Amino acid sequence: MATTEWTRRRWLDWFVKAAAFLVTALFGLPTLAFVVLPAFRRSRTQWLKVGRLDEFRPNEPTAITLTFQRRDGWVIRTVRRTVYVVVKPDGSVKVLSNICTHANCAVRWEHQKRAFFCPCHDGYFDLNGKVISGPPPRPLDELPHRLQGGFLFVRV
Amino acid sequence: MLNWLERETGLVSAWQRFWAQPLPATVGWGHIFGALTLLCLAILFVTGGAMMFYYSPTPDQAYPSVQYMERFLPFGKFIRALHYWAARLIVPLIIIHLVRAFLWGAYKKPRQMIWVTGVLLLLCVIGFGLTGYALPWDQKAYWGTAVRLKIAEGIPFIGHAIANFLKGGEQIGAVTLMRFYVLHVFVLPILTFLLVAWHIRQVHHLGVAPAWVRVGDEGAVPKTQRLHPDHTFRIAIGAIIFTALLLWFAARYPAPLEPRANPLDTAYKPHPDFYVLWLHELLKLFPPDWEFVGSFVLPTVLVLLLIAVPFLDRSPERHPLQRLPAITTGLTVLFAIIVLNIKGMEALPKPENLSPLERRGRELFVELRCYSCHGINGGGGPIGPDLGLGGKRDPKKVEAILRNPGAFNAHTVMPAYNLPPDDMKALVAYIVSLGPHSRMPPIPPVEPEKPPSHFEDNWLITHKFEVRKDPQSCQSCHKPFFCQACHQQRRPSSHLRPDWLKFHFGNAADELRTCDTCHTPDYCADCHRLTRHDTAWLRQHGATLTKFGETKRFGATTLHQLCYQCHTRQSCDECHQGALPESHKVPDFLQRHGELAKSGDKTMATANRQANAQTCATCHTQAFCTNCHMGAKPKSHEQPNFVAQGIRGAGRGKSGHALEALRKGVQSCATCHEQKFCANCHGMPMPHPQGFVRTHIQEARRNLALCQRCHDWGEQSCRQCHAKRPPSHTADFRETHPQRLADGGASCQVCHGRNACADCHRLPMPHPDNFLHAHGELAKGQQGNERQRVQNLHRQLCAHCHTIAYCRKCHLLGNP
Repeated sequence: MATTEWTRRRWLDWFVKAAAFLVTALFGLPTLAFVVLPAFRRSRTQWLKVGRLDEFRPNEPTAITLTFQRRDGWVIRTVRRTVYVVVKPDGSVKVLSNICTHANCAVRWEHQKRAFFCPCHDGYFDLNGKVISGPPPRPLDELPHRLQGGFLFVRV
Repeated sequence: MLNWLERETGLVSAWQRFWAQPLPATVGWGHIFGALTLLCLAILFVTGGAMMFYYSPTPDQAYPSVQYMERFLPFGKFIRALHYWAARLIVPLIIIHLVRAFLWGAYKKPRQMIWVTGVLLLLCVIGFGLTGYALPWDQKAYWGTAVRLKIAEGIPFIGHAIANFLKGGEQIGAVTLMRFYVLHVFVLPILTFLLVAWHIRQVHHLGVAPAWVRVGDEGAVPKTQRLHPDHTFRIAIGAIIFTALLLWFAARYPAPLEPRANPLDTAYKPHPDFYVLWLHELLKLFPPDWEFVGSFVLPTVLVLLLIAVPFLDRSPERHPLQRLPAITTGLTVLFAIIVLNIKGMEALPKPENLSPLERRGRELFVELRCYSCHGINGGGGPIGPDLGLGGKRDPKKVEAILRNPGAFNAHTVMPAYNLPPDDMKALVAYIVSLGPHSRMPPIPPVEPEKPPSHFEDNWLITHKFEVRKDPQSCQSCHKPFFCQACHQQRRPSSHLRPDWLKFHFGNAADELRTCDTCHTPDYCADCHRLTRHDTAWLRQHGATLTKFGETKRFGATTLHQLCYQCHTRQSCDECHQGALPESHKVPDFLQRHGELAKSGDKTMATANRQANAQTCATCHTQAFCTNCHMGAKPKSHEQPNFVAQGIRGAGRGKSGHALEALRKGVQSCATCHEQKFCANCHGMPMPHPQGFVRTHIQEARRNLALCQRCHDWGEQSCRQCHAKRPPSHTADFRETHPQRLADGGASCQVCHGRNACADCHRLPMPHPDNFLHAHGELAKGQQGNERQRVQNLHRQLCAHCHTIAYCRKCHLLGNP
């Protein structure tokens, strides 16, 4: 194709298109960022004090209800979560979420069966949260925890 | 892609045809404003649509959602500012576009409907402005809406109906806000879109009116340019300038957000936006009953006239000079509006112009949360006076009040603020600057929102009852020490009892959360430091009390006294009834407990604790000892010389019990014996009372023998005083002392020893009872004949007192 010469028309055409692009970008990009970016934001986590470590019995999951404030947009909500604290005889601690990994029902510890039981679809988890039987696809979620000064802290 | 679209819809070629359309030669820079208005509208749509993702149109959520946008979202402030400034720039743009069309006569046949739709679009834009204004639901939004609805109500006949329709009922509230929201984001956009589509379609279909050409002569103007790129170039320049202007405004001046709407706040004065000031000025020309003429009739007439322009000015001439009547009318109206607007702007209160110091003061006002009690021309809290009122303040007085509010009003709950000097100066400067023109500064979001109870008139008084009902109800919003903000100055009535320290224990035991409302959890530790009654304390309190009970002091109180502020003696019994302290658990405690009662004894095997009789008193009363010690003597009493002294004579010492008493103090006896027990032997209470040195003379005179039971006349203690001659020993004492002796010579023994008389008399004095008969025996020991014996005897013994002649009282000479 023969090179078209840069006529006045062509310059104007280029200028107008450039100006249109510039204006669109100047208004459009902040707007897009405004709408889209918050979706990628991590919600803030907080450390909650659960209790004294020596108050938990070993090999016996203890249900703890955590009540904390969480910001949901412009609203502050009081959120309740139940976790199971399992202290092993060797001193290590596991903090298991009570949310079943299958369909988000709440599991409970069955003392006789020595397992976590989910009533929705008969899922069973063992003391460590591993799936024994039933439809759950993966073990119970563990929450990050740490010990400080004899107290157990959990991150939510 | 494009081929597919073209095949399906034919839109691509239509698009290209649109942009390539030829335009008359006389279309120039004056014709860019329609496009710019459209650009502005597009910006408003885009930014508005973005904000719809986050805005919540209910009265309690609207304001926080706007604050959320402003503070927590990327570009939130910017997007909102863009929307705000675009909304304010579109009105001038439309006016310019309208005036241009008017002057160019572009409304003439066949383009009347373009004009009409244009005017309707102007009304839509005004509608957008009125509805969008209310959406942030801040003070300005709420009260501005209230005013406008009131104006609408003033319309005769239909006013109430219109106002109620807009309000969604009788009251301004949630329904109103929702209506305004739906009008703003749904109804008006649809209307606007349809009108814009019609408007642009007509321009395209009928062509742009060439400048100032007679109706009918349009064909004569050659179409030498195309929309793109000839005219779009001009539009592009205009667009760039407009963009720059808008971006600068949005970046430099964020959209204002006043404090949250408070429907109970009647002190707030709303001000209209600048482009309706002329209307407000117009209103002032009419007496109150006729206000609706100014507020409704005139504007309606104006609008109708505007719409009717193409039908009123039917002359085929487009040139301005050819249609002077229309031009002059139009320009006059425009001029009048502008003048009225300027007048209105002058009547506005001056914006606050704060110096940097005052600005810092305003920051402090917000930081220190002064607004929670004070308003500034509305807003804030209802507890303190509104600082916008009250006239010019004296800076010295302001500072004095800040430092000590109680000095000016004894019943104030205002806490004292002793700020560092710079901050104090700034805050005072700001407060002094406040006046009728001032406004409450923007308050950062304080979440969560105040419940309705806090807006009630006497909340300051009634909150006490709410707290008592459930202390934790406050904690859903307030941190526990929030109460201190006011209660620094004012204690709750319970704390004003004089014996509160003693009784607070009961309150705390009953409902500890009540304390939490003001006191942090470690507040108790200040006093309860050594006595945190937890498990560890229970194990150690015995040792702690033994060790520190009397020695550790908190101010003037000892640890023991501190215990007794809450506990009675019986409190110990609650546990120790049956429960023994560690010390009692030693196997031979019963035998060895006597040592426990000794002070300073460290030989106890149970601990290196210093125990004394006081320790026993923590649990046992004195009577407890007598349970056993009635009859059963302690070991100490079993030593040989416990009761009485040893052998009389030289080398004898004190009795055992005297030594004990001297060593340990008489209190050790008191464990079993009452004080009067001593008197059984001693004839007087033991030990000697204070001042006995002075009073013992009487006792001694009365019965010297009592002293002799304990005191040896050779004792140092007596000699200290009695070394000198007593006053009784006058010059003639030697002769007179036999008669003067009142107590048989017993008191002589104090100085002269037991055998005081014998030192001189060589015989016990006074003569014993049977001396009369027995004195003859004394002579038997002498040598010689009878006469010599008597003479020797007399010389040795009797001569001190008696002459030989004395014997003649009974003895006749020569007669034995």
